[in-house]
Amino acid sequence: MDKNYGLDLHCQMILDEYRDNIESFRKMKDIVKKQMEKCIEENGLYVNAIEARVKTESSLVGKLELKGQKYNSLSDLTDILGARIITFYTDEVDKIAALMEKTFEVDWSNTIDKRKLIDLDRFGYMSLHYICRIPQALYFDPEHPEINEYRFEIQMRTALQHVWATMYHDTGYKSGVEIPEEYLRNLNRLAGLLELADEQFSKIRIEITDYRRQVQALVADGNFDAVALNGDTFRSFLQLNPFRKLMERIASINQAEIIEDSLVRYLNVLVQMDFKTLGDIERMIKENSEAAYQLALHQLAGTDLDIVASSLALQNLCIVSIIKKGYGEIGLKFFYETLYGPSDYNIQRAQRTLQQANRINIK
Amino acid sequence: MKITISQIGAKQLVTLEGRLDTTNALQFQEDIKPLMEGETPDIEIDCTNMEYTSSQGLRIFLMLQKSVNARKGKMVMKNMKPQVKEVFDITGFSNIICII
Repeated sequence: MDKNYGLDLHCQMILDEYRDNIESFRKMKDIVKKQMEKCIEENGLYVNAIEARVKTESSLVGKLELKGQKYNSLSDLTDILGARIITFYTDEVDKIAALMEKTFEVDWSNTIDKRKLIDLDRFGYMSLHYICRIPQALYFDPEHPEINEYRFEIQMRTALQHVWATMYHDTGYKSGVEIPEEYLRNLNRLAGLLELADEQFSKIRIEITDYRRQVQALVADGNFDAVALNGDTFRSFLQLNPFRKLMERIASINQAEIIEDSLVRYLNVLVQMDFKTLGDIERMIKENSEAAYQLALHQLAGTDLDIVASSLALQNLCIVSIIKKGYGEIGLKFFYETLYGPSDYNIQRAQRTLQQANRINIK
Repeated sequence: MKITISQIGAKQLVTLEGRLDTTNALQFQEDIKPLMEGETPDIEIDCTNMEYTSSQGLRIFLMLQKSVNARKGKMVMKNMKPQVKEVFDITGFSNIICII
């Protein structure tokens, strides 16, 4: 038994149409959400959230009670199905919008870019809303043509815009109650603050991207002394496979299989060893590769170990470098602790490695 | 090589005894199969009485580590004798497998 809300006849007809078609809206929701997720993933974008919901009956009744006479039929309500994509950065809103234009049929006459409605002297609700239909090319069921006929709304905004919009909503905007001017002013001030933050996040991201490009160019040119050692630059450097030659030489001792493993954890070790630039690593390779190989030869020859991790070359280079710098047992213990964490065994490790290095005259 | 597997709380406890080499690596691989398919990906391997591991042993530990990683679990090997730890150190496997 459907609930009776005491609506007038006109609004009751809209509510009945909603009830008759609720399953079609649910189907639309699944299609729209799945398609949004697919095209965002295919285009390599990473967003904060993708949401979709069908308006609840009570929410629709509330809307009809307030402004039901505005609508001739359910088709005039474009937010029965509402979808939302929340991005991290402002420039991504436009990228997402372009993807939605390609994916769905946009009803341009009812689509609003609220970002353009903002007066120059004030801040406010900034969001891009598209009113769309599901094109037949995407989904068509001859028994349910309404799936392609009903419109739905897609909101596209940044995470900060979403925070602001959610808080603004919470103030009573939806019920149509006027907000006292002093609160409205404070909300607008907050919108300005968030807009500025959004702009700064985008700016910082662009600057970081530029910096990475510059670093990659310097690394590709072999201009290592000009590149400070940090997570970004170390990753770019690793792409050049700088330890490969030594690693293959070490593997050839026992015709060993090389298992690829991450070298990123060595960044901390290198920083602790006071390496400042990629040039410092390059010098370590040039100056210590032979000794690092001899250490591996001493350790592996005479064993039947025919599998090695690709980090072994860098591990031995660091060991040789520490010994040559005169840091001895304490330095090696610190190296192992940085790499593997604190353990009583690290001092034994350090003593054993130092003895092996002494036997082959690494000093 | 003797292997014992038991479930303790949310993790599997594996106890190894003896030498892991070419003579028993295949059997060992067979014995640990349940660990690679189970719903409990967290594994603790007690090596107190493990005397040695060969390359075949390292390959099997690597396979097990990859299986645990794929299931978003954690694998640790503990109480290794120094001569076993040395095998892991000189092959660089201490960088791949968590040894405590």
